[in-house]
Amino acid sequence: MKHKSTIVWLQGLTCNGNSHSFLNYPQMPSFASSFEMIYHPLICGAQSFSTVLESNEHFDFLIIEGALSHDERLLQRFGIPFYEILDNFAKRAKHIICAGSCASFGGIFRLRDPEKITGALFSGKEKGGYWLEKSNVVNIPGCPLHPRWLVETLFALRDRDTLLLDEFLRPKEVFAYLAHHGCLRNEYFEWKVDSKQLGEKEGCLFYEHGCQGPMSHANCNKILWNGVSSKTRAGSPCLGCTEFDFPRRALFETQKNMSLPQTPFGISKRAYYTVAGVAKSFKIERLEKKLIDENH
Amino acid sequence: MKITKEIIERIEGEATLELEWDNEQVTFAKIKFFNYRGIEEILKKRPLLDALALTPRVCGICSHSHAIASVLAIESIFENQGESLHVSQKANDIREIALNAEKIHNHIKWYFFSILPELKRVADPTYHGNAYKEKQWFQAQNAIMESLKMGAHFTGQWPHGSFVMAGGVTCDPLQSDVVSAIGCLDSVISFCEEHFYGMPLEEFLSFDSALQVMSVPSALSYGIDEMLKQGFDRLGRSYDRFLALGKSYMYEGSLKASKTAVLGADVKYVQESLEHTFFEDKHKGYTYSKSAQYKKSYCEVGPLARLMVAKEPLMRDFHRRFKDAALTRVVARAVECAHLIARTKQLLSKLNLKEPSFYPPKKDIHSLSGEGVGIIEAPRGTLIHQVDVRNGVIELYNIITPTVWNLGNGNRENPSTAQKAIIGLNSFTKADFILKSFDVCSVCTTQ
Repeated sequence: MKHKSTIVWLQGLTCNGNSHSFLNYPQMPSFASSFEMIYHPLICGAQSFSTVLESNEHFDFLIIEGALSHDERLLQRFGIPFYEILDNFAKRAKHIICAGSCASFGGIFRLRDPEKITGALFSGKEKGGYWLEKSNVVNIPGCPLHPRWLVETLFALRDRDTLLLDEFLRPKEVFAYLAHHGCLRNEYFEWKVDSKQLGEKEGCLFYEHGCQGPMSHANCNKILWNGVSSKTRAGSPCLGCTEFDFPRRALFETQKNMSLPQTPFGISKRAYYTVAGVAKSFKIERLEKKLIDENH
Repeated sequence: MKITKEIIERIEGEATLELEWDNEQVTFAKIKFFNYRGIEEILKKRPLLDALALTPRVCGICSHSHAIASVLAIESIFENQGESLHVSQKANDIREIALNAEKIHNHIKWYFFSILPELKRVADPTYHGNAYKEKQWFQAQNAIMESLKMGAHFTGQWPHGSFVMAGGVTCDPLQSDVVSAIGCLDSVISFCEEHFYGMPLEEFLSFDSALQVMSVPSALSYGIDEMLKQGFDRLGRSYDRFLALGKSYMYEGSLKASKTAVLGADVKYVQESLEHTFFEDKHKGYTYSKSAQYKKSYCEVGPLARLMVAKEPLMRDFHRRFKDAALTRVVARAVECAHLIARTKQLLSKLNLKEPSFYPPKKDIHSLSGEGVGIIEAPRGTLIHQVDVRNGVIELYNIITPTVWNLGNGNRENPSTAQKAIIGLNSFTKADFILKSFDVCSVCTTQ
């Protein structure tokens, strides 16, 4: 039997959301048979923080949750400047995983001081975050990340030599998809039927309610959250939480230019507006009605 | 005089407990929270509805609570500006189901992941905890997951779902969602009956005596025995003063209790203080936690406070025996969990899906100016969101979290609830446990 891969989990400026999301991993016994949590700030790990800090032992994965800073007035842990802890741990880790948008890009907390608060290798879109360069970092953004994204990445790095990453160092198996894929409102998107108002199953949230699904890379509508749903399935727009610019301003509004919304990812503006105009000209009765109509 | 400083680990975030000693007894305690993130500052000058998406990010363990407090604050601005929003019974029920899912999960998580290992560690300092080592840990993790999955049928996800909107909720569930959610809740019930309470939920809820709980083998009675061995039935007592400003099906209106006497309360008597914080004085301050008082008194908030103002018979019996000791506080979370499960089952079975989920406000949110307050009972106690908006843009956003009530810092003459509970103890280990008996949330505090 293969030996268990070892994990040390470290928190920067965080809400702990990624830790709690991870605790929703449905096959936890299977995870635990392959990985050993040496240290986690919330869950009793095998060792105390000071034992890990003082030891020189190497471990397989350093998971970082939360935004990072070199400024000890902004970030310290256990009364120690955070950079001392992080640099110590980073040297001893085979892989570094940024769990969530804060560790990946700086996330929400970066907004308070974008100069001093960043992600590990990125500050928003810009390269150069806490570190200028580092070759063993994988970003798994999301606010929070989905527990499967984390566990499946850990297994991939443990059992395979290569993990395909996109330009933001995100695993392609997760982030090649858009949140739009698997959205139950896709047909309304195709035929340009707006959601008239919130609180209904019908209509697309892209045109009026700020939905970022067609621009946000993630497979959440494919694997679903908590195994059963997603923001768009619960009638709420995708907030684009896996992207470097999360959170955008006016999250529940669609920003428009000459009354036209932003174009979906990877499509030229002109082509999109032409096709959209044609699609909108169809009046599809089925899509204008309630999905479940008691009278028919 | 001796002073010791210790980091408190395995809480939400991290805290430092500085203790002053005289003759091996704690004479004063300072509870310090660092790692401030500034969500209130980040919200300034942003469109009002952004608060619905950003305030859940205050805390990864009570994100629905913040979303609901936030939407109530926004709805109260409409109300103050003359437009009383109609929120359907269905939407209100869904909000309560979502909030209960979060509370149930919190209480199980806290008891099985934090309290039981802490009690074992107090008895045996070499004990390293139960995570990934004991079967019961996995069973508890499964129950936690099922509770959140139950809620996710309506909220889309947990943590950080955004399912509320001024005027209702955004989801439009089907009967099949409700059936599936009830299935999730039933598996939480099985776990609680088998492990937490050691008996059918109904039987547990019919109890009015501590002895009835203690006589049946269960994780709860085991914990009570351990706390009795360590003297936590006498230690950790504070002012015996309770406050629950948010609504509950168990009592009417906002209430406070002094020992067992219950009276009406009003949010207008709440005062927040910056004393001892870095906000007031960068150099002399020692924490980012503000503190909150009701009519200049520190009051305990949380499950024990809610059950005391609701005059819940079983809790009253524990309180009669042990006052507001650490043991009573811990048991309150277990008792409240049982009530919440029963209540949620009832809500799910009578949820009227024919009602609309959402009634849009008439007034354009971009033209909205005024102030609003949203108050709810979060897992750890009363949570208040205050917002001041000008033409749809946030001018000021203030959040008073439960931890600020229980774990803010007072003075030597008037220590806060947790400080009072710690003063007089004779060991750090005990102080650590007493502090944790409040279910500390550092991330909420340093939002």
